Amino acid sequence: MNDDGSHSLEISQMRKSFGPNQVLKGIDLTVGKGEFVGLMGPNGAGKSTLIKILAGVYEASSGTIRLGGSAVRSLADSPDVGFIHQDLGLVDWLSIVENLSLGTPPKRLFGPILNKRAEREEARRALNRVGLKLPVDMLVGDLTPGEKTLVAVARVFDRGAKILVIDETTSTLPPAEANRVIRSLSAAAESGATVIMVTHKLSEILDASNRVLVLIDGELVHDTPTRGLDRASLVRMLMQHEAAGPGADSLAAGRSAGEGIIELRDVWLGKLGPVNLRLNAEEVVGLSGLPGSGLHDIAFAVNGNLAPDSGEVIPLRPGLKRALVPPHRESQGGFSTLTVRENMSVSALPRWRRIGRLIDPRRERSECADIAGELSVKPRSIDTPFDVLSGGNKQKVIFGRALLRQPDVFVLCEPTRGVDVQTRSEIYRLIRELTAKGAAVLVASSDAEDLFSVCDRVALVEDGRLQPLRHVSELTASELELMV
Amino acid sequence: MVNTATATKPPASEETAEVASQQSSLVRRKLIDSSITVVVFLGLFVAFGLWLGKVFLNVDGRMLDVHQNVPIMLLGVAVLVTLVPGMFDLSVAGVATLSCFLTIGLTVREGWPFPVVLLVALGLGMAVGLVNGFLIERFKVNAFIATLGTGGICTGASAVYSGGTYVGPLPGGPQLPHWFVNLAAFSSKAPSWLMAVCILLAGVTLFLRLDSVRPPSWPQNRWIAVKTVALAVIAVVLVFGFQAHQWLSAVSWIIFFLLVMALVLSVLLQHTTFGRHLQAIGSNRSAALLAGVKVRRQVMKSFVLGGFIASVSGVVLAAGQGSAAPDVAASFLLPAFAAAFLSTVVLSEGRFTVPGTIIGGIFVVWVGQAFVLGGVDPTWIPVVNGVVLVGAVALSTAMRARR
Repeated sequence: MNDDGSHSLEISQMRKSFGPNQVLKGIDLTVGKGEFVGLMGPNGAGKSTLIKILAGVYEASSGTIRLGGSAVRSLADSPDVGFIHQDLGLVDWLSIVENLSLGTPPKRLFGPILNKRAEREEARRALNRVGLKLPVDMLVGDLTPGEKTLVAVARVFDRGAKILVIDETTSTLPPAEANRVIRSLSAAAESGATVIMVTHKLSEILDASNRVLVLIDGELVHDTPTRGLDRASLVRMLMQHEAAGPGADSLAAGRSAGEGIIELRDVWLGKLGPVNLRLNAEEVVGLSGLPGSGLHDIAFAVNGNLAPDSGEVIPLRPGLKRALVPPHRESQGGFSTLTVRENMSVSALPRWRRIGRLIDPRRERSECADIAGELSVKPRSIDTPFDVLSGGNKQKVIFGRALLRQPDVFVLCEPTRGVDVQTRSEIYRLIRELTAKGAAVLVASSDAEDLFSVCDRVALVEDGRLQPLRHVSELTASELELMV
Repeated sequence: MVNTATATKPPASEETAEVASQQSSLVRRKLIDSSITVVVFLGLFVAFGLWLGKVFLNVDGRMLDVHQNVPIMLLGVAVLVTLVPGMFDLSVAGVATLSCFLTIGLTVREGWPFPVVLLVALGLGMAVGLVNGFLIERFKVNAFIATLGTGGICTGASAVYSGGTYVGPLPGGPQLPHWFVNLAAFSSKAPSWLMAVCILLAGVTLFLRLDSVRPPSWPQNRWIAVKTVALAVIAVVLVFGFQAHQWLSAVSWIIFFLLVMALVLSVLLQHTTFGRHLQAIGSNRSAALLAGVKVRRQVMKSFVLGGFIASVSGVVLAAGQGSAAPDVAASFLLPAFAAAFLSTVVLSEGRFTVPGTIIGGIFVVWVGQAFVLGGVDPTWIPVVNGVVLVGAVALSTAMRARR
């Protein structure tokens, strides 16, 4: 086997469908030795599906993967390839050296006695390779997020990986830390390793990569060298699709907002603050930010699930009712063992109580069925177990739960995460309907399309602060890029 | 309106066909799942019948088993109430023991008026439940440890109170009220008109409930006809194949009481905000919290309710035995949990249900009794119960994984 070949990765005509949803529509891609590839694209474009197929989590519906010329099902079993996911897979309460030697063949002194000295020596070498100067006996839990990421990188190289696949690992890091990781990665690329990195940050792409891939709606729409690109051209590559998106039709520009409904005054949530935010009736306020920016914490504080460390959350209406669509529908949203009906009705049950505090089953059924029909939840029976639903339909059910509660304030976190284009526009229309009926809506989303399609005023959560709210129509292209 | 979105969608027919087939496969699976356990249950019953003949196939004998084990089934329901929101209450056996001791002791030793005694005994269960709830929800003590501790305290307190021996009425001293002891006798049967009303109600409920397995493509008339015939066949089989009328006439007041309790709790868990919130908490606690459920309060309420049912079980035990032996309810914990976990495979899709717990409890009791009748030493019963518990949990987990 020649050395060059073992480094090259070829993907041809890779397709993947989940039910009727085609997520990847024939990806062709060849990555050679020493390349640093940045993979970009809006949420739901299929980036993580692609990575998960490479990692062997999913199986492609069709298409082939070739590694060093020979066809493989996934890259998971190959010693040449290492994956670094958002969850780094490090154990906080073990030391660096213990983390590095986890899952590698033990170095033995004799019999079951381990050769600690050799392990530490190797750990030191591995840390050096990524430019990390730390005592190897430190607990991983005591490291900064950036250092943890570097330890994960070191571990992958330590196991002999020549191709590194990194899935949005830097998006949760503060800028300085992220830079450190990026620098170390580009050094690795210069010394011959192949790096494929999924990221939302334009600066990382421009600084480190030498090739940009843009994935939109399951298709590879751009594949160009980074040299010669600037921010504006990157934004254009990403935005040209979004302008044609389904939600661009309507912007209630200049519409005046109604009375105030709830207000956050000098609220501090951990390191985030001070947050001052007032939600008005008949208005959609959008917040965006990177994962880890505290974006959803603000949403939770508005909904009353998170008590601020200081400052006040002031309801401006007596008996204020709030409803939340949480950001993670599996872990925070759905009751997988219950039916669709029970999932929808849980927040609205007191409304259907009769004498003896028993719930009127007929009213519950008919109201749930109405909402499910309006959202076109499939399958149509509201007695379907929730866990057999597709992701988009789960999202609709959880949205329906908020609707059934009939609140004054809707707090919607990532309302369109993982839903298809059709549902997306349905949800946008619903949000507009809600405000027309007098509700206040807060959308906290890391998807720029949500902000531009449905919000009246938007702001970024960045560097531990909530930037001032601005009307969507005032925003310029240079500000859009930050939100992608 | 929002409906326009669906109206303009072109490939509607194809999609609905797919949805319909998906749905009928769901219905079929539901039917198969719930019938498997019924078949297993009946199969075991028939097998024991063939093995032991008249010794086992004896209506009075089997109903006596049920009658004597009503406290176990009540404990099963008591643990069920906290299992629904995903908690384990190991204190129920201790609570039942202590309230049994209090019922007997306060009456015959201290000579307290009986209504006061009942209030104290039942109040005790609720108090322990409240303590459990506080420990678990306020102080974040692990539920196993908290309830193991409070249960141990209750068992210990009853031993301290009795000096580690029996407590029972002494000749010449104050006695338990006659009505109380008589009510618990197997010979005091529920009147037949009452049973007739119950059967009627059960029939109507079943008739309505069957709608959940209706094949979506069937027209209304056909479905009602099929349903009626099916119920009639079931009724005929029950009467002629299993002598249902004899079973009914053997229902004692205590069994009737158990059925009423079961009905009330079943309604509580299915048709009140409290019950539905518990189910939501059990399914996904953080989602319940974000959906506006007052998780801590509802869990604490469930512990109070569980403690209350456990102390009812202790009172029933006192009525049935007329005296209290040390550790009287300790051996009930295992079959109680077995019954509760069996409910996840009986008549439901992996959920804890009250009727399932009663059926599961009867199953556990009869399986144990059949081995005893077959000549196996009664000391083997806990072994059998353990096997049933582990088997039930494994089966329900496997069924959930299959979905």
